[in-house]
Amino acid sequence: MPRLLALPLSLLLIGQLVLALAFLVPDLLDANAFAALFAHPQFGGGLFLSLFTGISSTLISLLLACIIAARRPAPPAAEAGAMLAVPHLALALGVVFLIVPTGFIARLIATLVTGWTSPPQWIAAQDPYGLSLVAALVLKETPFLVWVMAHLLVRGDLREQLQGQSRVARALGHGPSSVWLRVVLPQILPRMVWPLIAVFAYGATVVDMALVTGPTQPPTLATVIWRDLNDADPAMAARGAAGTIILSAVVILLVAAAGILLHVGRPWIRRFYTRPRTPERNLIAWPGHAWSLWRLVYVMVSALLILQSFSGHWPFPRLLAHDFSLSAWQRIAANPAPLFTSLALALTAAGLSLAAAVAWFETLSARLDRLALAACAISLCLPALMVALGQYRLFLAAGITGTAAALFLAHVLPVSAYVFVMLHGPYRGFDQRWHAVSSGLGQPRSAFLARIKWPLLKAPLLAAAAVGFAVSMAQFVPAQLAAAGRYATLPMETVTLSSGGNRPFIAASALLLMLLPLATFLTASRLSRPRWSP
Amino acid sequence: MKLSRRSFLAATLASAAPPSRAWASDWATIAAEAKGQTVYFNAWAGSETINAYIAWAGEELSRLHGVTLNHVKITDTAEVVKRVRDEVSAGKQSGSVDLVWINGENFRTMKDEKLLFGPFAESLPNFALVDVDGKPTTRVDFAEPTDGFESPWGMAQFTFFGDGAKVGEPPASMMEFLALAKHNPGGLTYTAPPDFYGTTFLKQVLAETAPDTSAFAKPITAEGFAPFAAAMNAFLDELHPHLWREGKQLPPSEAQITQMVADGELLVGLTFNPNEPANLVMAGTMPQTTIAWQHAKGMIGNTHFVAIPVNAQAKAAAQLTANFLLSPEAQARKADLKVWGDPTVLAVSKLPAGEAALFSSGKVPGSVIRPAPAVPEPHASWVPLIEANWLSRYGKG
Repeated sequence: MPRLLALPLSLLLIGQLVLALAFLVPDLLDANAFAALFAHPQFGGGLFLSLFTGISSTLISLLLACIIAARRPAPPAAEAGAMLAVPHLALALGVVFLIVPTGFIARLIATLVTGWTSPPQWIAAQDPYGLSLVAALVLKETPFLVWVMAHLLVRGDLREQLQGQSRVARALGHGPSSVWLRVVLPQILPRMVWPLIAVFAYGATVVDMALVTGPTQPPTLATVIWRDLNDADPAMAARGAAGTIILSAVVILLVAAAGILLHVGRPWIRRFYTRPRTPERNLIAWPGHAWSLWRLVYVMVSALLILQSFSGHWPFPRLLAHDFSLSAWQRIAANPAPLFTSLALALTAAGLSLAAAVAWFETLSARLDRLALAACAISLCLPALMVALGQYRLFLAAGITGTAAALFLAHVLPVSAYVFVMLHGPYRGFDQRWHAVSSGLGQPRSAFLARIKWPLLKAPLLAAAAVGFAVSMAQFVPAQLAAAGRYATLPMETVTLSSGGNRPFIAASALLLMLLPLATFLTASRLSRPRWSP
Repeated sequence: MKLSRRSFLAATLASAAPPSRAWASDWATIAAEAKGQTVYFNAWAGSETINAYIAWAGEELSRLHGVTLNHVKITDTAEVVKRVRDEVSAGKQSGSVDLVWINGENFRTMKDEKLLFGPFAESLPNFALVDVDGKPTTRVDFAEPTDGFESPWGMAQFTFFGDGAKVGEPPASMMEFLALAKHNPGGLTYTAPPDFYGTTFLKQVLAETAPDTSAFAKPITAEGFAPFAAAMNAFLDELHPHLWREGKQLPPSEAQITQMVADGELLVGLTFNPNEPANLVMAGTMPQTTIAWQHAKGMIGNTHFVAIPVNAQAKAAAQLTANFLLSPEAQARKADLKVWGDPTVLAVSKLPAGEAALFSSGKVPGSVIRPAPAVPEPHASWVPLIEANWLSRYGKG
């Protein structure tokens, strides 16, 4: 009977995903579409760019996150969370406002140094190798990984264990860098596998950021696919579907290859860790201030977006606009429906996903997690375009496109996947001996959950809910397809208006889009402070 | 709310005959049926001026005819084509789209696949005011006859613009455009095809380098396209090294080019609305010295339309809306630079004096200096060939 509690997650996540993908089977068999894809002049270059941006942004972000998180004291999780709340698209737009030849940096140089009257001809956004895209991704994903690490490190049981082991290592003469490298990282990284895969999949398949700051000749493969999928010609749409399948397959293969590489390299890794202590090299002294760079960029981007949203005419090389205007905000106030729709969707999707995940963990044995994790992995590793396409065909067959139900289902799939992934490690990693202690003291399970387990897991629970909220707020492609134009959400409205190029309006929408998740993160991190510790 | 298909068939069949009392009464039936219906108008929404205009049309329709107009904001009309196709193939009769802003390839696709309701357009009372002789593209959409399956809404013509103080004497041909690029390295560009503006730029190049433009009206094969491609590529090969970033990267959108021109990063912008530069001056985005120009032998031009999907729920109200959008009042407001500045499809000279006076004709800063004739869009079969040629030659970096 209690197993029925696992049903919501089974249906919303696993069931929906399997059905959605089943509706894509005809695309798998469309040989003409694959032939057309391979003949596309931009296929090879686009695929290379997608993989290059995905791999390099993941590796650089991980390296920087490890260095930043090693600092003592570590950067406040709340700061990383706040950065995490900034939508990818908003950050990319802000970065573009900063670095392009008419951007703020060029204006600063023109005003303070060179006295340029026309913008310099430097190559910033849309560089041919996608470096600005990689930079924007690194700026966005590093705080995410720092935040994941911070949340793993505050977990009650793990913290205890690590503190003890670190004391031992220090007693044996290891310095802080060595302790971090040999004691902390090996225990954290395996728990970060899913976030890392999600980061890689996102970087390799992102569309909106690539449109803003990615190259055009060729563009990334995801951009080529996006264009094809939106084409009215069924043959082009089929080529787009074939493209999503190939891109997904390559992403999965690379993840598998990385897994095999780590497995094969295990003896080498063990040798590294068991090697006798070498003289302390201060690995983490120089980037001690790396985090300040992040603070600077995020503050500048936010400030620029605020300035831009209130700006009127703002020609180069002026540092401030000629005049200020409320018109962008007035337009938003005149049409608040998308905001409320997004808010309602994010709250219900995140809340339900959290409840469904907890119900699953509490009623099913850990062995069955594989099923749900596989569903999460698939929904997070496949390009969002592909899952959304399958969902759309499923909704169409069920006759529910354009309904609130379809819109909710479209949001709850990625949200529940993220919430489950975020929660899986901490929840299953929870030390069962606490339960034994509680039972031994004659407490019922409900009391154990309410008074011991959930308070101890409060930080990861709130973190998962906050991520779910943010993920819901960022959904564009599935929402657009499921809503069939009958509903508008905030990201849909923002993307739609951004195609018109009114900078104040784009900035105002981007600000609004980041404000709600930001408020959620700050609330979550405030509530996360431990109230009770063993 | 439930609509009888037969009544519309009757109405449209009757309307094939010259205007008559029966026709008038059918229109009255449509108007009566439309009252209380909601029209889901799927229209590109990237511009606030256009959105505001559609909102105004909604208020008027509600006030005059009791019709609710719901603007479904979209980024790409191809999405709507796909959605209607999917709905129809899934047997969904009560579709999500009642009226769609459309032209060109999307129209041809919907017409070919029988996704459109009609013919209805030429039986709208206000269609009689349309300048079908002076503006032939109101009945031929990218070489595809409309056959009454879409109702003309506004005119578009490819146009360049820039700050006259920096541009000087504007180019009157692509060869002069090339000369301007050579004098201003890095100051000119176009959007990366298959972006619509980039593809139109290529069509303009094609029209000016082609040995014979009469072929444009007919379907073309890859072999037939070869000499056209050769002439176009020869020009582009010469032009690209002088473009922004030496043509190795092109901006992804026209909006970005406009912004870069306004910022002074680029010299020349491109638009499909000849009134947009004047609009930008009025909005303060471009300086008072802004000029807009067209090449002497003509610029690619077309008409944009509204169409009704075959599975629309509110077909009566959708026709009423299409008719309202053609009214002199609505057309004049749309052409007003302060509102939208979209050129009218009506024959203003043939309107009664009172209605003609609604259309102002004075020159303002940013107006097109010497308006040139419209070169009709090539047949849709040209587009994939133009784009494929560009992609394999310049799209790989």
